[in-house]
Amino acid sequence: MKEDSNHIPPGWDYNPATWSQRIPIVILAMVGFFIASYLALYQLDIITNVWEPFFGDGSVTILNSRVSHVLPIPDAALGAFGYLLDAVTGVIGGTGRWKKMPWIVIVFGLAVGPLGFVSVMLVVFQPVLFSAWCTLCLCSAVISIAMIGPAMDEMLASLQYMKRVRRSDASTWKAFWGLQSEIEKVN
Amino acid sequence: MWARLINTALGLWLMIAPGIFQYSSAAADNGHIAGPVIVTFSVVAIWEATRVVRKWNYPVAIWLLAAPWILGYDNTIAIVSDMGVGVLVLIFASVKGKIEKNYGGGWASLWQKNPEHIQKSDQN
Repeated sequence: MKEDSNHIPPGWDYNPATWSQRIPIVILAMVGFFIASYLALYQLDIITNVWEPFFGDGSVTILNSRVSHVLPIPDAALGAFGYLLDAVTGVIGGTGRWKKMPWIVIVFGLAVGPLGFVSVMLVVFQPVLFSAWCTLCLCSAVISIAMIGPAMDEMLASLQYMKRVRRSDASTWKAFWGLQSEIEKVN
Repeated sequence: MWARLINTALGLWLMIAPGIFQYSSAAADNGHIAGPVIVTFSVVAIWEATRVVRKWNYPVAIWLLAAPWILGYDNTIAIVSDMGVGVLVLIFASVKGKIEKNYGGGWASLWQKNPEHIQKSDQN
């Protein structure tokens, strides 16, 4: 508890990097990872059927569409990688990581944000381009959107910290990578 | 919280209404694009630290008021639905709701010269 209170950013009421803040996001990312992996297994023809309770052959249409194969690897495989990156960058570092390792928090924020953006784009493509819906793709999109809000407070704390670094006499570059000697120069 | 949930529901309505009422393709596409965008902004704005994202729904809502005329909807239900949703989203996006915690001056602090988090750290 004492350690946590030391890591409350100035002008804040709580520390955004505590485990109770981060674990729910990591769990969401892991659920997203499993859903995307399952869909990728179908797209890679490793499994022959895909679960679709509501929209008939909607999932089949979407998962075999030209958009989903526009890249060398199927889009669900890329999504699975994105979720894994979210989970890994969500776990790395202690409860003071917003200032002790700003780089990981900023990579985490950048991983969560664009993944959500791509998910929304894919949700738009389903009905507009293919007149079909895919249940698990929608579930995956809901998860990636739900992760953005809770992840961004930590990102904000790190960005504010980097602003304080820039006005101190510490090296911005070294502080970004979390060198102890530089952290001590910043309030 | 409730204002965000209402706007989320309105966004979902835009997504399902074209299928229920057999919209023409322009009206259907518009609902299928604006709906997920409104849902996304509304869900992200549920959290206090990202509450400001509620305002990103303003341009989408204003577009919904104009879209039936620009895209030339021929379905009265689609016109009423899009314009009604536009007005409601505009109203509920303007509700700020409770902000109970402090965030060192929030996102605006990143562009301010002497924001709250810098003042607080100077005091220590």
